[in-house]
Amino acid sequence: MTRYLLRRAGFYALAAWVALTLNFLVPRLMPGDPASVMFARFQGELDPEAIDALRETFGLTDAPLWQQYFSYLAHVAQGDFGTSVVYFPAPVSEVIGSGLMWTVFLAGIAVVLAFVIGSTLGALSAWWRGGFLDSLAPPILSFIGAFPYFWLAMAAAWLFGFELGWFPVRHAYGLDIEPGFHLAFFGSVLKHAFLPALTMVVVALGGWLLSMRNVMLGTLGEDFVNYAQARGLSKRRILVHYAARNALLPNVAGFGMALGFVLSGALLTEIVFSYPGQGYLLIQAVRGQDYPLMQGIFLTITFAVLGANWLVDLLTALLDPRTR
Amino acid sequence: MFPLLFTLLGCAPAPKADPGVVTVLQEQQATWIRNFNPLLTTGGTRWPTRSGIYEPLLIFNGATGEWTPWLAEAWSWSDDGMALTFDLRDDVLWSDGETFAADDVVATFHLLRDNSSLDLGGLWGFVESVEAPDADTVVVSFQRRYSPGLADIAHQPIVPEHIWSQVEDPSTWANPDPVATGPFTEINVFRSQVFELGKNPNYWQEGLPHVDALRFPAVGSNEQAAWSIVQGEVDWAGTFIPAIERVYVGRDPEHHKYWFPQTGGMVFLYPNTTKPPLDNADVRKALSMALDRELIVNVAMYGYTQPANPTGMSDSYADWRDPAAEAIGAEWMTYNPEGAAAALDAAGWTLRDDGVRYNSAGEPLELSLSVVSGWSDWVRAAQVASRNLEAVGVRCNVKSRDFSAWFDSLGRGDFDLSIAWSEEGSTPYGLYKGLLSAKAVEPVGEPAIRNWHRYPDPNADALLAAFEDATEEALQHQAINALQMRFVTEAPALPLFPNPSWGEYNTTRFVGWPSADNPYARLSPNLTPDPLLVMTRIMPRENRVATQ
Amino acid sequence: MIRGFLTNKKALAGLVVVCAIALTALIGPFLVQDPTAFLARPLLPPNWDHWLGTTGQGQDVLAQTVVGARLTLTVAVATGIAVVGLGALAGGAAGYLGGRWDDGLSLLINVFLVLPGLPLMVVIAAWLPPGPLTMFAVLSLTGWAWQARVIRAQVLSIAKRDFVAAARVTGESSLRIVAVEILPNLASLLVSSFIGATVYAIGAQVGLEFLGLGDVSAVTWGTNLYWASNDAALLTGSWWTFAPTGLGVALVGFGLTLVNFGIDEVTNPRLTAQRAVGKPGQPPGPTPVLRSSNG
Repeated sequence: MTRYLLRRAGFYALAAWVALTLNFLVPRLMPGDPASVMFARFQGELDPEAIDALRETFGLTDAPLWQQYFSYLAHVAQGDFGTSVVYFPAPVSEVIGSGLMWTVFLAGIAVVLAFVIGSTLGALSAWWRGGFLDSLAPPILSFIGAFPYFWLAMAAAWLFGFELGWFPVRHAYGLDIEPGFHLAFFGSVLKHAFLPALTMVVVALGGWLLSMRNVMLGTLGEDFVNYAQARGLSKRRILVHYAARNALLPNVAGFGMALGFVLSGALLTEIVFSYPGQGYLLIQAVRGQDYPLMQGIFLTITFAVLGANWLVDLLTALLDPRTR
Repeated sequence: MFPLLFTLLGCAPAPKADPGVVTVLQEQQATWIRNFNPLLTTGGTRWPTRSGIYEPLLIFNGATGEWTPWLAEAWSWSDDGMALTFDLRDDVLWSDGETFAADDVVATFHLLRDNSSLDLGGLWGFVESVEAPDADTVVVSFQRRYSPGLADIAHQPIVPEHIWSQVEDPSTWANPDPVATGPFTEINVFRSQVFELGKNPNYWQEGLPHVDALRFPAVGSNEQAAWSIVQGEVDWAGTFIPAIERVYVGRDPEHHKYWFPQTGGMVFLYPNTTKPPLDNADVRKALSMALDRELIVNVAMYGYTQPANPTGMSDSYADWRDPAAEAIGAEWMTYNPEGAAAALDAAGWTLRDDGVRYNSAGEPLELSLSVVSGWSDWVRAAQVASRNLEAVGVRCNVKSRDFSAWFDSLGRGDFDLSIAWSEEGSTPYGLYKGLLSAKAVEPVGEPAIRNWHRYPDPNADALLAAFEDATEEALQHQAINALQMRFVTEAPALPLFPNPSWGEYNTTRFVGWPSADNPYARLSPNLTPDPLLVMTRIMPRENRVATQ
Repeated sequence: MIRGFLTNKKALAGLVVVCAIALTALIGPFLVQDPTAFLARPLLPPNWDHWLGTTGQGQDVLAQTVVGARLTLTVAVATGIAVVGLGALAGGAAGYLGGRWDDGLSLLINVFLVLPGLPLMVVIAAWLPPGPLTMFAVLSLTGWAWQARVIRAQVLSIAKRDFVAAARVTGESSLRIVAVEILPNLASLLVSSFIGATVYAIGAQVGLEFLGLGDVSAVTWGTNLYWASNDAALLTGSWWTFAPTGLGVALVGFGLTLVNFGIDEVTNPRLTAQRAVGKPGQPPGPTPVLRSSNG
């Protein structure tokens, strides 16, 4: 098992290197430079002479590409992603640090809830194949799942936030609440996370349901389930202990892949809800042509996904005796 | 799980703002980064660091067109126009209790000199030296006569020498706990999604400000900003809101107010005058006549602004306009497709059956119109303009490019027509420098910082020099009159519309805001340094009731 | 198989929805008003002249939705083809050639699978000039790995089977084996991969354009939503400016998903309760089908 986990870790390291290299090459192959862009964001309020001053500040060097590449790798290794343009002179790591936790929290809740609810519904609809649940849930959830994340988020924000006023549609917790370990803060956090998480869960539910249902149908046909039935075990015991448990394994493996998707969805949802995570930072970086910030966000999200995947590998290894 | 959830929700107190805390929306940022360094550009520094925490020597009041004394009580030009003298107030304290003195002003300007990346206004391009003959006097000596320099010097935020002399690198220092002279200097709360600025305990204007604190929620997008304003969570904002009468005012007509004066920068359609037939003033004027500016304003700007004044000056320069020039400009600035067609005929471009004009060599009149792809108001304006031009037989395709590519091609002169901004300032000097100066013209292919349309006016540089030379207003007016006459006769660029200055306020909790009826200052918090005038005047509603 | 497909209710329903929208995208633009003309007062609710109302700029929403479908679906279908093509090439080569080839290609596929899609797309799209070509390139570059993985697995299982081994032993050329023995067995998988990739392309495209990374002066579904958001559709209560486009996206996605369900059920009979077992030319399931007593 240790060998297996080490091999996986090696793979993720390789993936991280590919991300790092892509990240380095893509911006440098395109035209434009941040100082002129930054100057232009002030639309004439700033003297055009200031452009030279800005260029100097950002230390835009003319060093050969390979030299830039190695100094880039060295900096990233030290957790230094450069200086943000939009939030100048704050270092990128500081800007990202303020939001990473919220994205991980939101995406984490959403993916776990969607997985648990979706898999349960999937197991049940496979169990009562052709029944009420099985004939209604998959088509309805697939239809909802076909809407773009942000579209549902907009609709939910408008209906429940703006028109009905049931839930807040901005921020991660109330502005008057001091963050800390007390009930008021947690309550506020949950209240603020409710709508964004809800839209993400609703969109993702259909996928989990179908994949669980399909695997489960296969499992229900397996010999050991028939054997359990022949032994006269209770239906509930068969469903939970025999069929669902075994059907879960491939779904857990899919869980790691899903994290990337869910994080992408979380980014769009955050934008709609002004949730203080990575999503809005990313789009702000794009609009401000903030190369270092964009790169930093892409890298941290990638590293987060790779790390989560490795944890899922660990979980699979523990669940599945074959990998031991 | 759900019962637990709702128990928790029940415990969360409803947000209730402190009665003396003004909620302000100016920057749209997803998260707050603690930076109160007033020497950096506005994007990286939290608003209102430059005019609210720190203060300038004088404030040019755009609403009244007059200079308001601030940290300096008085100022004067020397007789030869080569030096500016500021008499400082002697009752000003820094928020840490130290005395404000001339050395602080000198130190501030020396910081700019020693760190060229902080010299955003290019001050040391015309300043020779800054000296303090005594504790309350500062003398700025010039390298040459340059009257527009007054605004750059007077609006520079002043920082305390006793703090900044210890700073290793002022160009990257975040100044997390500012020591300043402004009305709000204390950081009560600073979190990634909200921060609050408290009163300066030692503020020099006794009894001011009337309000206890300013609070800034981090709101990422324009739509979210508009929502929180409409829902009454915000007291003062500078956000664009569509259909504002219905959406915002209609929700609470008594308290929800806005003021969108047309004092922002003028937006131009720049023709590349190095490319025939755009080198011909008659063709440029014909294109201008083809533009239906009313429609452009309604479609692109939601009717919040008006077609441009023929002189190219927005309402902030209303006093500088010359009626004679306006009359001449109106001839080619008024929507007149027939006149445009006639002028193009006269210039040798005849209409063929395919609806496009051709010259005698059989070349079609085809122009591309460049615009920044993400800037929705300009994209809309470009779409309308292109339709207008097509209607008079000009084949015109809109080319939307991403910002850096667009800006690059604009600077290098690689475009036919392009929508872009113009320079702003306390006088129209910068505007006409950008529109006409022959010295600013770069060869095609070299990046130009102004005069992107590359129109070298033979008289402009002499007139601009006359303006720089003039410390008396009458002489400045003379120069600007001559410059605007050059502009309306040559039509080097086609003014489209002035940008409005967005400003909303809510009188539920606070009163005393500037408005069209009481224009003691400009409302929009997006301007600098005008907000200082506003934040020292507003007061809680109860206060006023009590004092009346 | 095709007969089975056409008698599958889900597949048929999906096919009808998809065809209807495709037809609208094809013919519709000739029937509606000019989508970019400024026709009427902005934000008019649906009325007789403008069946779906007008946008914040006074353009016809119906026209924008219909015309927007054309470019969006064109890019999506093109991306679908490219993604399946790339996926088949990489996945097929890995599965068929095996050995070192498989190791290297699988590694590449897995690396691209594990990189988070949207941030990568944003980072690339932000640097390219906005437009349909950029969209196509970005979506293809970030989408191929998923299909490659599925196709590799299938090719691997086909290549191991007796008839392929027999063909190899009899000395048939690789090209012939791939064309005659493997491709026919892969057909239904390629079709469903194509459908999956198209759904992905629509969603990702609309998302990127909504963020303003597309060409906002073109009329597509994504830019429609971008402009609706820009004109504060929610704030002004103008649901008609964003509801039709969102519904269009959802209907196409749902229709295509239904078609895919149908293909799945026809080719993988265990998923359906009533349908008969086994169709010639289809890969058999991993274990023989046994009916659960609860069916």
